Amino acid sequence: MAAPRAAAAAAASAKQVTRRNFAEAVRDLGAHLESCDYVAVAAQKTGAPTGWRRALPVDTAETAYLKAKLAAESFQPLQIAVCPFLLRNSSPSTLVAYPYNFHIFPRDELQLGMPSYSFSCQSSYLSTMANDGFDFNMCIYDGISYLSRVQESFARQKVFTPHLRPLLPSQSTSVADSVFKSRIKSRIMHWRKGYAEPNKKDDGSLVSSLCRLILGGETYGSRPSISIDVCSDQQVQLVLEAANHISDDLVPLVVPDKAGAARAVCVIFTSSKEDKNLLLMDIQQSTEEKFRGFREVIDLLSSSQKPIVSYNCLNDLTMMHSKFVAPLPPNMHEFMCSLKMVFSNVVDVSHLWRQIGPLRKAKNIQAALSYLQRQYFVPIEIKIPEQDGTSGVTKNEQNVLRITKLFAKLSNLLKIGPEYQLKSGEQYAAVEEYCNVFYPSCMVEDSDDVDFANEPDTAKAVSTDNIIFLWGFRGKSVKELKSYLPGLHQIFSEDFEVKLLDKTCSALIFCNSDTAMQLLKEISSESPSLNSFFSEGLKAAGFEVYRKVCRLGLWDSDLAEALEGVSSEVAASTLSECNSSQIYWNSSLMLDLKEYL
Amino acid sequence: MQGRLRRLLPAPPPRALLFRSLSSSPPPKGGGDGGSGVPVKQVTRGNLAEVLEELRGRVREATFVGLDLEMSGVTSAPWRDTFELDRDDVRYLKLRDSAERFAALQLGVCPFRWDPAKSAFVAHPHNFFIFPRKELSDCPSHEFLCQTTSIDFLAKYQFDFNTCFREGISYLSRAQEEEALQKLNLLHQDQTSASSTASEGDGDMPLERAADILFTERMKLNFKEWRDVIVSKPDSHLLGNTKCAAGQFQTVFFKMRPAIMLNGFSSHQLQLIEQVLRKNFRDLVYVCTFGEDDTSEKRVVYSDTDEDKILLMKDVQEDLLKSREARVKSAIGIRHVIDLLSSERKLIVGHSCILDIAQVYSKFVGPLPSSIKEFALSIHKIFPHIADTRHLMSVNQAVQKLMKQKSKSLSSAFSFLCPASPSYAMKPSSLSPVKIEVEGDETKSSCFISGAKHEAGYDAYMTGCVFAQLCTYLDIEFDQLSPQDNLATNNKLQKHINLLSPSWNSGTVIDLSSGMERPEPGYMRRYPAPVYDNIVLIWGFMSKVRPKEIKDCICKVFGLGSVISVFSIDSTAVLVQFKKPESVNDFLDLKAVLERTDSAISILHPLSTILEGGQTRAAKYDTYRDICSSSESKYLFADQAEAVCATSENQLQENVDDNLISGVHQSILDGTVLTSVNKGDGTKSGSKNEGDADITCQHILDALHDGRALIGRRMRS
Repeated sequence: MAAPRAAAAAAASAKQVTRRNFAEAVRDLGAHLESCDYVAVAAQKTGAPTGWRRALPVDTAETAYLKAKLAAESFQPLQIAVCPFLLRNSSPSTLVAYPYNFHIFPRDELQLGMPSYSFSCQSSYLSTMANDGFDFNMCIYDGISYLSRVQESFARQKVFTPHLRPLLPSQSTSVADSVFKSRIKSRIMHWRKGYAEPNKKDDGSLVSSLCRLILGGETYGSRPSISIDVCSDQQVQLVLEAANHISDDLVPLVVPDKAGAARAVCVIFTSSKEDKNLLLMDIQQSTEEKFRGFREVIDLLSSSQKPIVSYNCLNDLTMMHSKFVAPLPPNMHEFMCSLKMVFSNVVDVSHLWRQIGPLRKAKNIQAALSYLQRQYFVPIEIKIPEQDGTSGVTKNEQNVLRITKLFAKLSNLLKIGPEYQLKSGEQYAAVEEYCNVFYPSCMVEDSDDVDFANEPDTAKAVSTDNIIFLWGFRGKSVKELKSYLPGLHQIFSEDFEVKLLDKTCSALIFCNSDTAMQLLKEISSESPSLNSFFSEGLKAAGFEVYRKVCRLGLWDSDLAEALEGVSSEVAASTLSECNSSQIYWNSSLMLDLKEYL
Repeated sequence: MQGRLRRLLPAPPPRALLFRSLSSSPPPKGGGDGGSGVPVKQVTRGNLAEVLEELRGRVREATFVGLDLEMSGVTSAPWRDTFELDRDDVRYLKLRDSAERFAALQLGVCPFRWDPAKSAFVAHPHNFFIFPRKELSDCPSHEFLCQTTSIDFLAKYQFDFNTCFREGISYLSRAQEEEALQKLNLLHQDQTSASSTASEGDGDMPLERAADILFTERMKLNFKEWRDVIVSKPDSHLLGNTKCAAGQFQTVFFKMRPAIMLNGFSSHQLQLIEQVLRKNFRDLVYVCTFGEDDTSEKRVVYSDTDEDKILLMKDVQEDLLKSREARVKSAIGIRHVIDLLSSERKLIVGHSCILDIAQVYSKFVGPLPSSIKEFALSIHKIFPHIADTRHLMSVNQAVQKLMKQKSKSLSSAFSFLCPASPSYAMKPSSLSPVKIEVEGDETKSSCFISGAKHEAGYDAYMTGCVFAQLCTYLDIEFDQLSPQDNLATNNKLQKHINLLSPSWNSGTVIDLSSGMERPEPGYMRRYPAPVYDNIVLIWGFMSKVRPKEIKDCICKVFGLGSVISVFSIDSTAVLVQFKKPESVNDFLDLKAVLERTDSAISILHPLSTILEGGQTRAAKYDTYRDICSSSESKYLFADQAEAVCATSENQLQENVDDNLISGVHQSILDGTVLTSVNKGDGTKSGSKNEGDADITCQHILDALHDGRALIGRRMRS
């Protein structure tokens, strides 16, 4: 499985964590979280939405959320990189980072169809990952499983694992009970004697193993144990009492059946007090592993209250919410509320770099970093004290380190954090000021392209009332549409922009919302002036129809198909009650036409 | 293992026979630890071409070919499992859903040739890694589903996902190939017509930036200079290496015409150059071609006359078309193997292979047809002879007796029918096994890996071995088979081939030659045969409601024997089969009325257990089919049903006559009376019905909890 690793930009590498070294990594991570200022997070998933299912320039926060929800529910994270870091404003500034790269896989540990019954993969995405040297075998064979908080509470009701039960104060016992108890007691004592008191030397291994066979000895892990069948809770209590009476080195474990009722008590022999503590810890850990798994990391992040720094936050945090917390709520508002309960402060680096004028056009992290490199002098010394050393750098940890580095530079420029207070009474900005603003990413993700967009930066607020969705134009290009539409109706002689949303549908953005409304009105009344428009097979609808398509989740078809299905119902009803909202229409967020050809 | 193999290989002949009587090693126990000792050729995109050539010959010589597929999953949601009481159209919808959603990751092909000299079969197991890479830029990006348990299952058997995703062979189905070629031809026509007519550009770029204007002017001068040299000294460039006056251009030749290579320009600059040439030079042509490794090469070519220019452009276009066609051809990839099997018309042998066949159809032929009959007939055209070893096991009494109580999985059949060693104490009933050798190829031993269970190549081999043994039980004597004979037309076998079970629990077989489905002899039903007209689908009830309670409360209203069975689809939906067909409408009407009336009666009514929560919906069986045919895939049936109904809202709304209400009110009262009267023996009936409910509960448990056993069955171990 020697994976050909992609040539790595940075020599630093994160600690690779699988289920083999998870427990120890979590302990280390906990300590690092304590001492750090921020935590950067990045995820490697099995795909991203394509076509009009991606966040588009016409999307409102609401529809962008619904699209992020779709992506979070269908694709599977395979690696999650977590990087606690601290910034020291010495000169030069120092960044100390502790990157971890967790490999996760939604293995169904409890056979309940959880955490996810199935997931989608996008083959082009997997190909790229494979070319970058992603080790799928490591992930699938040894990835850490997990359950979300909601799934865990469900599983705890459904699945019963052997557990410790506190001893209740003994009640009055009947004769039958005391007979049962003394019988069990002598049985356990006999069995224990074989281990507690070293055998006479001449006893021979055959005899001792025969002895064990007869006494019904088993092993629990590496420790000897004996299983005693019980048929009621009362009997469990009696066995626990019996074991308790005999010696302190016995650990009784209640073994439940499928329905959760006690089936047997497994009494385990420990050789010393330390051994007993070790066993108790093991038992706790093994159930934790089954019920929480990787989520322990999320819980740690959450309880540490450190600000989370990420890129592409809307996508990554909806994913984290749906996989590790609970199913995603139906709207953005509820999601933000629910997310705040888990992570109170989340910083989107792309929001930060938009605060620096010339950086606004940067298409991705790489572009922003290289711009900073060229235009600003922000020396930062990066220290990564604990390195794995052995393996190369995976794409995902590279991403998390980039986020870390970019955040360090930006926070230096923007004077975020108490670290930057000192200079001549300057006021520092609290990181909270930049928190919880997410940008839907309309851009090509993951490309290492450092070009800035060529187009002028003309983001402007446009009301959704100004947008008309047009379809039925049979593969015409934007340019063709621009010259073709004015011939059909005088409304189109006014100024409007055209953007292709997928190969079947385009958005017309009118400068004047009245024009758009008038067009919709004429369409719904089938005005004769639109005869040539209709006879060309053209259809149009307002934003409300698109919103409904997103809300109903009609993601399976082309946009034209989905709009067509919904438009007939909506057309009449919604013209009157329009709740318009705003989008940030940015002509630089252009779709690459080549993808649709 | 490899060492042992090598010792068995006679050294001198390059192509050595790896001698192995069917049995020399036991099938590996448990996980994929340790191979079976059977060398299986591993094929990735690196060695596909050479393997294909070899395989063609092997298939041609073969008597039959074992086939197996490993998929990324089987069911996209628990309720998409096939149930015994599914109607045939529903069952096909579920099969189609599975074949379309999941990816094929490995294809196992194992030709078996009868060697009369040794009176043994010679097998050549091949294991092809498949990955639906996007080979053509204009194909839509492919998305597929993975079922977590299936992936985990493959991982348990050491499936190499890295090889699969990095080196897997891609494919185009026949339909996709046709579409791609059509698109090419259209594009070609467009381009040829465009190049002849509109050369004056509509797509002029305005020159705004100073840098662009300067660059354009400089280029104009340079080209002019170069062109003047070419025109003035027509012979000088023939000397080849002559440096032209315009120092930075070096003359090369393109299709017998002088040309300049344009290297190191950005795409924006190239656009500017193209514009300059179009505007200022009638005799210089901008030509873009694609080299061997798909890199584009741009040239400026001198062409003295207009006729010559047209000729040149035509030439270039044709080259382009050819290279694109070649690219489409090479994108066919793994489908070549299927085309090869199809064109040789050999007997294909699979184990419980309907899903494999459906996968093959959907990935390599085209979209699956809408009905199982059409599917069967189109499959029959592609593979005229298919034998299913699972079906064959059920047709022979002796085998049935032998395999009694045994799992019908492939590995179990293999270990049972193909005994571990020749000296193995035969049961009196079993026949002497057919000898089977596996041929390895020592010279390229690197691509051989000892086969292991649940690797498609080895499974294909096991399937073939099982088939060979089963044939002996059918009294087929291979010794009397001449190489020309088609085994498929052997009269002892003929009546058993082309019969596939639509699912493991359907209790029917479908005849591929006629498309007709008929009951499978000897199949033991767990449930009474369903009557679909009597079935109501109910979903969305409270999660605490158990199937048994549903049965009880319907019985309270409709009478004790009115419900034949309640079958649980998942925790959110049930199918209730009534005794009488009219009960279906009665139930739906009653439900509608109860939901309309907001009185104490509707709360006290026995059906309120089901209706509690207000989300309960009910419909006839056809709705179940519609829900299954949807492309949505929600985890819970109730969510799926809601999603499907949201798009076709009006369909499910029950229209209830207002004047019906009073009538039903009466019956509601009757119903409550009925229950109170019957309360005495209600408990009795309850306990009597427990048997039924137990079965359904058992089934849920089977479906939900016993994941491993289920997969075993599904993946046809």
